Amino acid sequence: MAMLSISGLSVSFGGKRAVDDFNLEVGAGSLVGLIGPNGAGKTTTIDAITGFVPSQGAVDFDGTDISGLSSTMRARAGLGRTWQSSELFDDLTVMENLQVASERVDVRGFLRDLFRPRNDDVSELTKILDSLDLAGSADALPTDLSHGQRKLVGVARALAAQPKVLCMDEPAAGLDTVESQALGRRIRSLVDGGLSVLLIDHDMGLVLTICDYLYVLDFGQLIAEGTPAQIRADSKVITAYLGERHSDDHGDEHGVDTAVPAAPGGTPAVGGTTDG
Amino acid sequence: MNASSLRSWFTPKRIPAVVAGILGVVVIGVILANSDQTQAIVLGLGGGALIAAIALSITLNYQGSGVVNFAAGAIAMYGGYVYYGLRVNGQLFLPPIPNPLAPIEGIAHLAGAASFSLPHIPVFITLAHPSQGTAAFGTFIQQPAMPVWAALLISVMVLAVMGLAFHFLIFRPLRRAPVLAKVVASVGLFIVMQAVIVLRFTSSAKSVEPILPTKPIRMPRGVSLPSDQMYLVLIVIAVTIGLWALFRFTRFGLATRAASENEKGALVLGYSPDFLAGVNWVASTVLAGCFGILAAPINQSIDPITITLLIVPALAAALLARFSSFVVTLAAGLGIGMLTSWIQLVSNKSWFPKANGSAIPGLADALPFVIIIVVLVLRGKSLPTRGSIETIKLPFAPRSKGSFPTTMILGIATIGLLFLVTPNWRLAIVNSLVGMVICLSLVVLTGYVGQISLMQMALAGISGFTLSKVADAHHIPFPIGPLLGAVVAVIVGLLAGVPALRVRGVNLAVVTFAAAVTIENLVFANPAWSGLQGASVRSPSLFGFRFGPNDAWTKPFGGGKGLLPNPWFGVFCVVVVMVLVLAVVNIRRSRIGRHMLAVRSNERAAAAAGVSVSGTKVLAFGVAAFIAGIGGALSGYRFGSVTAGYFGAIPSMIFLAYAYLGGISSVSGAMVGGIIVAGGILTTIFTNWLHISEQYTLLLAGIGLIIMAIQNPKGVAGAIRDGVHLVQRRRASTSDVSDSAIPEPVEATV
Ligand SMILES: Nc1ncnc2c1ncn2[C@@H]1O[C@H](COP(=O)(O)OP(=O)(O)OP(=O)(O)O)[C@@H](O)[C@H]1O
Ligand SMILES: [Mg+2]
Repeated sequence: MAMLSISGLSVSFGGKRAVDDFNLEVGAGSLVGLIGPNGAGKTTTIDAITGFVPSQGAVDFDGTDISGLSSTMRARAGLGRTWQSSELFDDLTVMENLQVASERVDVRGFLRDLFRPRNDDVSELTKILDSLDLAGSADALPTDLSHGQRKLVGVARALAAQPKVLCMDEPAAGLDTVESQALGRRIRSLVDGGLSVLLIDHDMGLVLTICDYLYVLDFGQLIAEGTPAQIRADSKVITAYLGERHSDDHGDEHGVDTAVPAAPGGTPAVGGTTDG
Repeated sequence: MNASSLRSWFTPKRIPAVVAGILGVVVIGVILANSDQTQAIVLGLGGGALIAAIALSITLNYQGSGVVNFAAGAIAMYGGYVYYGLRVNGQLFLPPIPNPLAPIEGIAHLAGAASFSLPHIPVFITLAHPSQGTAAFGTFIQQPAMPVWAALLISVMVLAVMGLAFHFLIFRPLRRAPVLAKVVASVGLFIVMQAVIVLRFTSSAKSVEPILPTKPIRMPRGVSLPSDQMYLVLIVIAVTIGLWALFRFTRFGLATRAASENEKGALVLGYSPDFLAGVNWVASTVLAGCFGILAAPINQSIDPITITLLIVPALAAALLARFSSFVVTLAAGLGIGMLTSWIQLVSNKSWFPKANGSAIPGLADALPFVIIIVVLVLRGKSLPTRGSIETIKLPFAPRSKGSFPTTMILGIATIGLLFLVTPNWRLAIVNSLVGMVICLSLVVLTGYVGQISLMQMALAGISGFTLSKVADAHHIPFPIGPLLGAVVAVIVGLLAGVPALRVRGVNLAVVTFAAAVTIENLVFANPAWSGLQGASVRSPSLFGFRFGPNDAWTKPFGGGKGLLPNPWFGVFCVVVVMVLVLAVVNIRRSRIGRHMLAVRSNERAAAAAGVSVSGTKVLAFGVAAFIAGIGGALSGYRFGSVTAGYFGAIPSMIFLAYAYLGGISSVSGAMVGGIIVAGGILTTIFTNWLHISEQYTLLLAGIGLIIMAIQNPKGVAGAIRDGVHLVQRRRASTSDVSDSAIPEPVEATV
């Protein structure tokens, strides 16, 4: 059964189609990759799924159409996401970042907290931090962390909400190879534990090894889909994307109109990595 | 313009402007059928020209340096006074310049050498002397000291220098700062200019003689218009055409447009963005200032407030034009002026809404507010779009530890002081306590959630007036009365806050300021409520024990009759402040506080984490309005009355300055903010010990706000906290070098 399925998804900015009639499905407990060159529309797809840009088409989540819901309601329904540039709450400690995602506020609780603030139980959140090797940073501020750690805190925060489906926007960008592989194993084990994941990343090694199924976008259009083996062999993908990468392996500053993906850690031209 | 270029011009973005234009034409058409209404509309042209000029100045600033200048009206007013001083007295007044010798003199005075005096920096530079003119009707009429052209020329030079100073001292250091930091700086500039004029010329109106010829111009259908208004309109049209041509056809204008998009654009054209910003500052300052000079005679007098507050309709006009089109700005400015004048006329008609038999004043002033709300809400989004995230960098909001014992100790100590000190210090403590309450409301809304509000004093006033007019009038007893006032403040705060959910950053500052002006004109100055003289508030009593500040009291332990103010009122204030302090500390320590700070940091990420951004903001608006309402009730009790002047839009701005100076994102900052309010503990130290006039408080608050915006520090409370940390860290590092754990930021005191 598909946990998340989108059909006929289109997003345009001004007259420009950033995503065009895109269909995608994420089955329960599966790890689906979404790849494509810079500016292909990957982030925009996640933005549309999670309600951050207006879009056409249907978004079905866990059997119901959620396209009318606000971002907040989608998140509460169990649709989590991470951000390409972490987007942490810099005014809160790492643990507080996680608490924001895991706790709900209601008026009665608020009134009680005014007089006698609860001591909220953070043992679950500590486990999440432990699993991502962030245990020592619980009381640090995000601005005191390295870039890689910040990305991991972004993942930890998304996990803190206990999502059913998690959309991850380049979680491994800016991590070194060892960290990246460790993150890959961690994502894989989450999926094996029942979580469904939609993963965007430029690290082909990572995506092709851990994903069950892949979609390839270019200029907002689906150009290929299939298992990693099929994608590896797909000629369109090779010409549009992988082929050039192998012949010309460097990060491109203005990658929007070329088909070369940014090297890990390279600055994506769109969506502005602010904390690089 | 052919059809295809028309089609490309007409984008969805232009819908509000087009709709407003069509509506305007229809309204004008309907009204023109009626000649006295035509007359009223035409008479609005002069005011409209001034509004348009201020709006053009705002647009110019925005194009040149990305600043939404709240002080543009104040600059126009200031220009008017520069000219007035030169023309009438032959004197150029100087803003107060700190005198390095003053503290020495103050110390000498403190030591008892009252006659000791050192050189002072001059207040006025006299350039010409007024000659006594002929005796007419038995009184001497003073002849102006300086010819018009000379006074105008010198005024323009002064304004140009001011523009340069604003650029180099304030806005150039802020050029990479978030837009909101620039707004805070311009609010500081507003306060400074206002304070300087009040210091030099007092706040009473001065009569001014016309500059432009005032011969009435006859128009068809018996309508006439004084020629000076006609000239003003012609001048502002000429200025608009000039600006339009400048920005359209010259490299300079092109470069400014390019720079407003991105800095590289201007560099390509061979201009440094910095140079462009400087030139635009000079131009906008001279523009606003000159129209202040030329337009002041329309009302025959000049005062520090009237022109200053034209910032609200001017902002409405500039918003309609998206801070970019000079022509739309002009049309909107003139249109608002004429509509305002028309509303004033029809307020005499029988169908116009009345209060106590007379027309509700201030409805005309509500017009810009309505325009602002409609435009911003139509254009707003409940979440910012990607890439447009713009938050002011607010200081760190610490989680307090051990605040309960600290609050108790400080509270009890303050209560003890209230009974020991002399009456004027007792009053100072009470004033500071009331100020702390207002600052606490800003800590919740601005400090925790990042929503800049320029209406907190107006909300306080809503509560104060409710206490006077509803609770007292219906004999509602003490604890219920102020609570009722606070609840009404919450309702009004939510009414103003809910549209603000789609509006953020600078625009929110604009909305809340317009709301404050509207509340002031519509409610506080409404004759049905109070009129300008204010409304009385009965002193509070509980179980027959009266503890208003002016209620007689006897000293404990048989000490006899005590001097007023009654310290028990101070005790009441201390208890209120302690309760609110603990509540606000608890907000920061609990779930809602984390959600608030998440919204403050990043609205999109907060929504993705399941936080209800709108819900959090509504709650913050409500809590802040409640706290401000309590503050309003307290100040009602404190003065025994509530007045429009105390609770208006400008006091709301000034309180933002106090809260910012103290430290807007911590409870201890609100305590410091209360200490520095006018009439509070700090000003009493100034006046009693250092012999610095209380009038300088506002000036210092404004300057402090500008410095805060530039330096982005954590306020006075934050500086103290940092100092304590530094000492603690030094101690820790000398005793235990191996301990490298990042210390958890904890607020040292309350
Ligand atoms: N808010 C916006 N307004 C206008 N255009 C936008 C906006 N957001 C994205 N775009 C455009 O949409 C296209 C798709 O962008 P998107 O960020 O989704 O690509 P991406 O696949 O995530 O690229 P990257 O690998 O660089 O992250 C780009 O051409 C981008 O310029
Ligand atoms: Mg992206």
